[in-house]
Amino acid sequence: MTFRYIPVIGLEIHVQLSTATKIFCPCSTDYIGAEPNTNVCPVCLGLPGSLPVLNKRAVELGVRAGLALSCTIRNHTVFHRKNYFYPDLPKAYQISQYDLPLAEGGEIYIPGDDGRPRRIRITRLHLEEDAGKLVHSAADGRLEGAAFSFVDYNRGGVPLAEIVSEPDITSPREAREYVARIRQTVRYLGVSDGDMERGSLRVDANVSVKKTDETSGEVLYWGERTEIKNMNSLRAVERALEYEIIRQTGVLAEGGSLERETRHWNDGEGITTSMRSKEAANDYRYFPDPDIPPIVVTEELLESTRNALPELPWAKERRFAGEYGLPEADAAFMAESLPVALYFEECVKNGAAPLRAANWIRTEVFRVMNEKGLSMDSFPVKPSVLAELVALVEGGKLSTTVAREVFAHLAEGRSLKDALPAAGASPGGLSAEDVEKMVDRVLLANGDVVEEIRSGRDPKGKKIKFLTGLVMKEARGQADAAAVSGILERRLGEGR
Amino acid sequence: MELFALSAAEMVRGIKAKDFSASEVFASCLSRIEALEPELSALLALTAGMGREEAARIDGMIARGTDPGPLAGVPVVLKDNMCLRGVPATCASRILEGWIPPYDGKVAELLAGAGAVFAGKANMDEFAMGSSTEFSAFHPTSNPWDTGRVPGGSSGGSAAAVAAGYAPLALGSDTGGSIRQPASYCGLYGLKPTYGLVSRWGLVAFASSLDQIGPFARTVEDLALLLSVIAAPDARDGTCSPRERPDYAAPLAAASLRGKRIAVVKELDAMRSSVDPEVLRVLENTLNLCREEGAEIVEVSLPVSLEFGLPCYYILAPAEASSNLARFDGVRYGLSCREDSLLDLYLTTRGAGFGAEVKRRILTGTYVLSSGYYDAYYLTAQKVRSLMKAEFRKAFGRCDLIALPTAPTPAFKKGELVDDPVRMYLADVFTLPVNLAELPALSLNGGFTGGKKPLPVGVQFIAPQWGEPELLNAAAVLERRLGKAPIAPLGAATEGGNAP
Repeated sequence: MTFRYIPVIGLEIHVQLSTATKIFCPCSTDYIGAEPNTNVCPVCLGLPGSLPVLNKRAVELGVRAGLALSCTIRNHTVFHRKNYFYPDLPKAYQISQYDLPLAEGGEIYIPGDDGRPRRIRITRLHLEEDAGKLVHSAADGRLEGAAFSFVDYNRGGVPLAEIVSEPDITSPREAREYVARIRQTVRYLGVSDGDMERGSLRVDANVSVKKTDETSGEVLYWGERTEIKNMNSLRAVERALEYEIIRQTGVLAEGGSLERETRHWNDGEGITTSMRSKEAANDYRYFPDPDIPPIVVTEELLESTRNALPELPWAKERRFAGEYGLPEADAAFMAESLPVALYFEECVKNGAAPLRAANWIRTEVFRVMNEKGLSMDSFPVKPSVLAELVALVEGGKLSTTVAREVFAHLAEGRSLKDALPAAGASPGGLSAEDVEKMVDRVLLANGDVVEEIRSGRDPKGKKIKFLTGLVMKEARGQADAAAVSGILERRLGEGR
Repeated sequence: MELFALSAAEMVRGIKAKDFSASEVFASCLSRIEALEPELSALLALTAGMGREEAARIDGMIARGTDPGPLAGVPVVLKDNMCLRGVPATCASRILEGWIPPYDGKVAELLAGAGAVFAGKANMDEFAMGSSTEFSAFHPTSNPWDTGRVPGGSSGGSAAAVAAGYAPLALGSDTGGSIRQPASYCGLYGLKPTYGLVSRWGLVAFASSLDQIGPFARTVEDLALLLSVIAAPDARDGTCSPRERPDYAAPLAAASLRGKRIAVVKELDAMRSSVDPEVLRVLENTLNLCREEGAEIVEVSLPVSLEFGLPCYYILAPAEASSNLARFDGVRYGLSCREDSLLDLYLTTRGAGFGAEVKRRILTGTYVLSSGYYDAYYLTAQKVRSLMKAEFRKAFGRCDLIALPTAPTPAFKKGELVDDPVRMYLADVFTLPVNLAELPALSLNGGFTGGKKPLPVGVQFIAPQWGEPELLNAAAVLERRLGKAPIAPLGAATEGGNAP
């Protein structure tokens, strides 16, 4: 009998919600770079006598995310206390949600390993408060070997939505796709900035492997699962899971057994290491928080949130492919983020041919954005201007090469009127008549070549290319090369 | 009569009429405190400096013709579980020793805004867990009527302070009877408001779903006066009702109890053997007065509340307390026992910082919330609580007020119940159903026991939700028959009132 080890992966994603203030107090959520323990108040420090008051905006954002993930939203939901002692948790309980989460039973589609869309079920989305941050005195900032630790409560009480998937993910690549999809979605919704490096989107992975019979597919053995933490990028998610699956498969293949534990991803060394065993399971003694009255999600809120949902990335992709005939990859690229999608559609609305506009955005716009470290929102070339430029190229009035030069000037902040002459192009472009005249001149001056072509001595089309080049040179690049060779072919054919 | 013996309303009238100054009132109270405190130990902190400054500020306002507010120049004592910026709040616990709140609680803000002058912080059972104030980590408090007895608890310090004339007003907190039972033991008016009437912002939590702050006073007018100041909406407490508060002075003018139905509780009959005969006599007498004032006496039944209220309370309150008190871990404030490991820091700090009764309740609460026991205890108790609410609702369909003893006995002797937690818990059997049902209730002094050292005996009236005006109405009518609550016969001057 031959065996096959199949990974089973479920992800928990903590998303920091983009509220202005913390979830239970008026402190700001903008704590990055603030001096430790300055962005705090009696509530988020858990001082005796302080009380939490729910930030309604956090609920609204949670509902928005829940609806976008096709979840059912509860009309009545409550906050529970999750009790455990740790220095980053000033009340010694985290206000979270337990058996009555805000949203549950959703789904999202990702490109599967077989290229077809794969459905990943969302178990639930619930709201909770973030903890403070421990800073250990050891050189690498980790607990091991630290003589003492500091605690900074600036982040404590920042609102989080925890999105839990069913164990529907079967490969590290799919896990990466799933995280990317969730990140894209929360960004589209304006629910979170989804920044993994800054920790506003954090991924914990539960992974196990099951041993199956290669031929029958029968599951012979379910391995114990481990939880992996500290994956701070999409790539880290993929690498950590790749490593962990190989490690678990190795242990099982050698007849060993796995322990249920939490493991830490060490990105530098590319390995996971054991953090703590789950043997002594924590009893969190969840109970409804008596300080926070039950939350009623009204039909009006649901309705208005549903109506205000933007077109979601997958719908946009489909529409871009259908309505504009973009290839799948281009459609995905244009729909990747909301600002890019808006830019693209604005170009098209201003008359740019969709495929050409997409090409320009993918190449030129992104090149300049990356070079200059700009965002789409602050990009100097307005979509209407790019549309004009694209139209000039499309109409054969400007070669791609010159258009690129014009674009570079536009990106410097010049207007199209100034950019065209700066790139050596005449603002009006060349008329078809102008091009015909240039072709005439070139044909006249190169009678020998014309003769050779006409007598069939140009099997590889090299000579006609030569002539095209001459016309283009004469046109100073403002003619469309394809159009020129078209004219040449027609004229050369005439005299035969 | 010395100034300290005046009611709060008399003080305000005198100060505003410039008959005497706020500073003179405060000085009079301060000397009263200094004279009696060695005997009573009712306070954990005396805010003499702060009070003097504040009284002088009030006098300045009066001189300039500015109205300092409805409590102009009235000394007030706060229970030590309420935050007053800059003044230690210990909750009578070692674990909070040295912690100075950096913020004012809502009631402190309201009192200061109304012109009140803080006289001190009152002793209490540690974290409000107890019925005798003997569970204070610092010292017990004596009952001003008999210093060999307890003042009740957990707001025993507040009650003793008002009964002794330290101040005409004090605030206590009531989670299972902690205002009403000491009011009964000390012969005062004590009111536990409807849950959600008074903000808990700045009240160190014991059991969040049961805790309410309420007033102690020696007159119904004073009780209403203090209630009007503290009963205000507060956006910082999600459980504090935004509803408009009525005028609490209006019901004081009621001429009689005509048309009112006051209910006795059927189940009390079966419990007679465990209630002191003097308590039953005082209750009977008070009901007779009600009848004479025109009330109709009816009977209601509260079987669930009186049989299961106590066990229900001793599941829910410790459950919430075990979580509320988890933050005292030695990491941020209060007592911190330095140890080499985090776990040892927690264990040593909490081991040394909490007293036996608090530990008992944390253990009980932790147990009833543990996985595997939650359904049997916590969830069942929540169901019982719902039944109790329904039972009271039904009862109030047939009456306006329910009368019960406040406590089964008058003040007991110091040390008598310290080692018998279950008998100590029984002191709250008539009061804690009210907290579980989130209702308002008032304890008034219905009379005294006979004997050489007469002890005050309270009677409790319970009203439907937001029924504080109904309670004040009845108390005002009865006050005209029973007299005002007297200052305990300690030291030199005492007021008339209904002293035996």
